[in-house]
Amino acid sequence: MPIGPFGIDPVIWAILRLVIALALAIFVLLNGALAQTLLERKVQAWMQDRLGPYHVGPYGLLQSVADALKLLTKEDIRAKLTDLPFFLAAPAIVFTPILASFVVLPFSSDVMGANLNVGLLYLTTLGSMTVLGIVIAGWASNNKYSLMGGLRSAGQLISYEVPQILALVTVVLYVGSLSMVDITNSQPGPLVNAVFLPFAFVTYFIAALAETNRNPFDLPEAESELVAGFLTEYSGMRWAIFFLSEYGAITVVCAIMTTLWFGGWHGPGVDALPILGVLWFTLKTYGFVLLFMWIRATLPRLRIDQLMGFCWKVLIPLALVNIMASAALILAFADPRLPLAIVNWLLVAGLVVGLPFTQRRRLLRFRSRTRETVALRDVRLAP
Amino acid sequence: MFDLLEPVVFAVLALGVIGSGVCVVILRRITAQALLMALTFASMAGMFLLLGAETIALFQVLIYVGAITILILFGVMFTKQDERGYGLFFQQQTPWAAALVIVIALPVTFLAFSFKDPITPSAKGGDLIPLAASLFTDYAFPFEVASVLLLAALVGAIVLVKRDEG
Repeated sequence: MPIGPFGIDPVIWAILRLVIALALAIFVLLNGALAQTLLERKVQAWMQDRLGPYHVGPYGLLQSVADALKLLTKEDIRAKLTDLPFFLAAPAIVFTPILASFVVLPFSSDVMGANLNVGLLYLTTLGSMTVLGIVIAGWASNNKYSLMGGLRSAGQLISYEVPQILALVTVVLYVGSLSMVDITNSQPGPLVNAVFLPFAFVTYFIAALAETNRNPFDLPEAESELVAGFLTEYSGMRWAIFFLSEYGAITVVCAIMTTLWFGGWHGPGVDALPILGVLWFTLKTYGFVLLFMWIRATLPRLRIDQLMGFCWKVLIPLALVNIMASAALILAFADPRLPLAIVNWLLVAGLVVGLPFTQRRRLLRFRSRTRETVALRDVRLAP
Repeated sequence: MFDLLEPVVFAVLALGVIGSGVCVVILRRITAQALLMALTFASMAGMFLLLGAETIALFQVLIYVGAITILILFGVMFTKQDERGYGLFFQQQTPWAAALVIVIALPVTFLAFSFKDPITPSAKGGDLIPLAASLFTDYAFPFEVASVLLLAALVGAIVLVKRDEG
């Protein structure tokens, strides 16, 4: 009889490994969410010159533990007219793909669930599945605000998936692999992909903000317009699972950015001590998480037509231009790094400089049209 | 090692594909139908995984579960949710449909049981490069035909739903 690792029967080991991996993923996800809720509140408090939570534990460090306990013990409330099977299934549909995403995240050269050679495609696929759960949640709640939230998120997430994937394509073209490990290993030095492909990074960053429903793209749960969007009817643990998934999704997109553009686990001292990679990877990922929080504390929410217009009229055309230019440059030059960097930085400059310009023109046009309408109405109302 | 596991997984997936497919046809709640269709697609993706074609499985989920089902649900949300209180009136082709199914199912079953040695694929399914190469060389013409067809459908859909500018 064949003996697997640790002298355990291989079939049992396969199941055992699955259980261990699942437990580890849940552990990482839960603790990440706990840490991020606390960070979110503390960071925002500091940015707004407040103290934030400080009653529970030293400096309020145990606040998120208290919150988690509260959510676990809360009464399970369901409105009478909800569509029960879907209402119960929705949090699971949102949570499962996020949990499964953790399998391919390369925390270090030897700490990862699996080295799939289509790892990036796997992550995008799972990212697209969460929309289904959100739409179902909005519909099953049988509430107009929830339905609006669900519809908004369907439109928003499907639209922003396009620039997100287009941004990934550029990096894949440059590196020549979809495997997270290959992409990390292609940038061992300080010259990471972000230096050569900044435009793809900017596109991905904006699209990732929209995909994770963060400010300024948090229209599906805009509290001042829609109560809480698709979350309105949820409470207790089901609500908590939605929030776990949201923070999990943020961790996953930040980890993707770290891997694709910022060298993943590479950092000083990794060659001597590979386990240090976990530290670097986590630090870089949480750097982006902090950036997300900074943006949340800074920017106001967009309107839905601005949101869609920005995606379809600005991000997608520019991302397509970027792909065309990158592909041509990679074919034309043996070492395409310098031309790629020039084109990409030009595109970034174009986006940053051109956007306020075009927005101002749109605004002026909008105002003059409003003025005409008002003038027409006044003429009609005149005696 | 997985001699036992593979038939079990296959059975679960087959049950998922056929069972939820049948439910899509039989059930009358349109949201449940849409979700069960997503389950059918996901089970199909599982079948592809079992055959070692990871890329195809991932694209299957990305396109069918992640995009098409959501568009269908998007449409469902704008339709009235009443249960259909009447039976099918004009559609009385059930016996014909059954006959057609038998006509198609018989040769398919026959073919399925005539396979003896499975051909092991030369390239691993997770490898994207041979897949892309064959798509853009051997199958370039069908690929282009399919994209033109999709484009035509897209334009047609826009023309159908476009309101006259008043």
